[in-house]
Amino acid sequence: MRILAYIFRRLLAAIPVLVGVSILTFLISHAIPGDPARLIVGPKASKEAVESIRKEHGLDKPLPVQYVRYMAGLVTGDLGQSIRNHRPVTRDLADYFPATFELTLASLVLCLAVGIPLGILAAVRRNRLADHVARVVSVVGVSTPVFWLGLMLLLLFYRHLSWLPGSGRLDVTSAPPADITGLYVLDALLAGDWALLREAASHLILPAFCLSYVYLAVITRIVRSSMIAVLGQDYIVTARANGLSAARVVLKHAFKNSLIPTVTITGLSLGELLGGAILTETIFAWPGMGKYVVDSVNSLDFPAIMGFTLVASAAYVAINLGVDVIYAFLNPRIRY
Amino acid sequence: MRFWTILCCLVLLLVGSTVYAADKDTLVVSVSSDIHTLDPGVSSDNYDWRQIYPCYDRLVKYKVENGKGSTEVEPMAAESWTVSPDGLTWTFKIRKGITFDDGTALNAEAVRYSLDRTLAIAKGPADNIGAIATMKAVDDYTLQITLKNPYGPFLQTLATDGASIVNPKVASHAVDKDLAQAFLAEHVDGSGPFKVVEWTRGQRCVLEAKPKYWGGAPKLKKVIIRFMSESADRRMALEQGDVDIAENILIDQIPALEKNKDIVVNRYPSQMVEYVYVNCQNTKLSDARVRQALSYAVDYKGIIDHVLQGNGVQMRGPIPEGMWGHRDDVFQYTRDVAKAKELLKAAGAEKLELTLIYSERRATWEQIALIMQANLADIGVKLNLELMSNPTLRDKIDKADFELCLGAWSPDFADPYMFMNFWFDSKNAGLPGNRSFYKNDKVDELVRKSATLSDVAERKKLYSEAQDIIMKDAPYIFLYQIQTIVPLRKNVKGYVFNPMLESMYNFEAISKE
Repeated sequence: MRILAYIFRRLLAAIPVLVGVSILTFLISHAIPGDPARLIVGPKASKEAVESIRKEHGLDKPLPVQYVRYMAGLVTGDLGQSIRNHRPVTRDLADYFPATFELTLASLVLCLAVGIPLGILAAVRRNRLADHVARVVSVVGVSTPVFWLGLMLLLLFYRHLSWLPGSGRLDVTSAPPADITGLYVLDALLAGDWALLREAASHLILPAFCLSYVYLAVITRIVRSSMIAVLGQDYIVTARANGLSAARVVLKHAFKNSLIPTVTITGLSLGELLGGAILTETIFAWPGMGKYVVDSVNSLDFPAIMGFTLVASAAYVAINLGVDVIYAFLNPRIRY
Repeated sequence: MRFWTILCCLVLLLVGSTVYAADKDTLVVSVSSDIHTLDPGVSSDNYDWRQIYPCYDRLVKYKVENGKGSTEVEPMAAESWTVSPDGLTWTFKIRKGITFDDGTALNAEAVRYSLDRTLAIAKGPADNIGAIATMKAVDDYTLQITLKNPYGPFLQTLATDGASIVNPKVASHAVDKDLAQAFLAEHVDGSGPFKVVEWTRGQRCVLEAKPKYWGGAPKLKKVIIRFMSESADRRMALEQGDVDIAENILIDQIPALEKNKDIVVNRYPSQMVEYVYVNCQNTKLSDARVRQALSYAVDYKGIIDHVLQGNGVQMRGPIPEGMWGHRDDVFQYTRDVAKAKELLKAAGAEKLELTLIYSERRATWEQIALIMQANLADIGVKLNLELMSNPTLRDKIDKADFELCLGAWSPDFADPYMFMNFWFDSKNAGLPGNRSFYKNDKVDELVRKSATLSDVAERKKLYSEAQDIIMKDAPYIFLYQIQTIVPLRKNVKGYVFNPMLESMYNFEAISKE
């Protein structure tokens, strides 16, 4: 019960955080010199045309009035209308967020599936071959520019070997599955369309690998160092002395205790990934949030920028809360 | 371990998936940018027009002569037209038998409704047809348009996207008096050879051919526009055969594509020009001799040969080659350091320091800015370079808050008005066109007069006289006219480039072997 009260308190505390974020984003995005009305009508349009657009979108009103109007809409769940494409921002986010979410989930699975075992192996076999391999993998991961890696992956696996499909969420000729969750793999599964499922999943491999590689490197290093710290503890020596198998000692007793830093880093990475990965999305023509927000900034689409920032901040808040709750499960000594 | 085995099996299962290229009835075009809106009355963007244009008919269309796109227009939905001697009243006979998808007839009322709608929306496209004062359907198939003043380019403006003929029934989709803008932003309702059947944001837009199109059934059944923002990605997809046409491939990737036997790289002289706005209002640049010196300092040939790798020609005068009114004999600046220094000395501006602003809109601009910096250093002018975002840059241009600025321009309709009046008429000062804030009363008089006439020979004469004055005043540094490069798969036939329809395709005539 206490944990529920804690979650409730944290959710309440999130409200001022989000309001603060909204004010800051609003001020910063309006401080960019440039006229969104002019961007809508095109450079050759007359001054009258610009003026009429400014009025239509309420851009002629003073900033505080614009902000209050925006917030009034927000309370009713209205994120405003995009200046660029005249659509409700909520609809835009509903279109772009699932792509990012699907890619993020796939990357996260890859990251943890490879990063954790590699980190454990590196810690257990410290300064031996496995450790060196893990180190090389990590250093290469941290230092490889994503745009280069992405292009190389495409060049090798798509262009030359033809093992995997090129960019995009589906093949050029395929129509998306019926929109249920927006996650193509899941939607194809729900529709029972196996060919489409296979296609959507195979389209995920390269971008997910590209995106996860940097985070994988970080997670490997964190798991390794925290495992090394734990493996040196007295209770591990005791466990070993009691004749427990090496696997049991490492995976059951040591690993669980080394998880807290890993969960922290994973949470932070997840937050970052959900904000969209502009480079990976650009290279793999992945229609996600990163690309959307960059286009919005370029056209000074204030409602879109605000909508994105609020959603991304809310995701961050939720993930941090989730991480804190997981702490309590991992270490019963942590109480809220 | 079990988890790992499952993961590996899964990956193996997915690897080696066959990539299906589109069949012969389907054309796939990979493009760099998504669409913003499908409404012809709203969009000022060629990337939107790419999809909108083939879905609608207009009164007139650009001619194709000997397989080449022309800037002249011919009848489309209009069968014929007449114009009153004072140039004010235009009467169009509308072709009978054209219908929209729901069976509604395309008649004089439909044309009136569409043009009126674009004017009422009052966004970018409205400016192109802004000369219209009143419209009247004389009978079902005769439309009379009266202009505010005689306007030379009027007929040409009817070939622009904003003059597309929309089914008047869309009015029933209007919400809050928005003239059906919300509806037409995501749907099309025209009588053109294609219609949009799917638009998955950020991914693709699918056009389906109408076999009963009055102008003849398109050869293709379907066109898929695939949005891919990365040039290298588009190139790979083209080489792999997943797409048939790839646009906006970076110049440095073109030579590799040319070596591929399955790909044809076509080059076309475009009407897209790049130039430098010289702010004539700025005290440092108000003396024409200083501006001439700058024009003499630039190494035009070097820029074209090395930055554009030969894919362009130096501009001669403000009107590009291929547009009527262009003069082969008008004065052209070439690099002459001694002359430039002399002019600066005479103007008493030997210790000049200027700033050139530019954006990342073109990959080539950084290099051009650097070359200009070196060129101007040769004549003793220190040039500072300032890179900024496009919205910021546009804001500065509009407020005359700059000294020199790199820019690009392409005409919306095929008339020298797009250059001569937009760039030099002092009424258009600022972002709309006269971005150098140039003011010369004689030039104002000449270009304004020319705009009101319909006799091409007479108009040519006036523009010609204005060009001589302009070249002396040097309000812009006229850099080059770009070549548009369109790489396509060898089996794509029937593509015709039209310099007026940049990034737009004649899908109705394209086929695949």
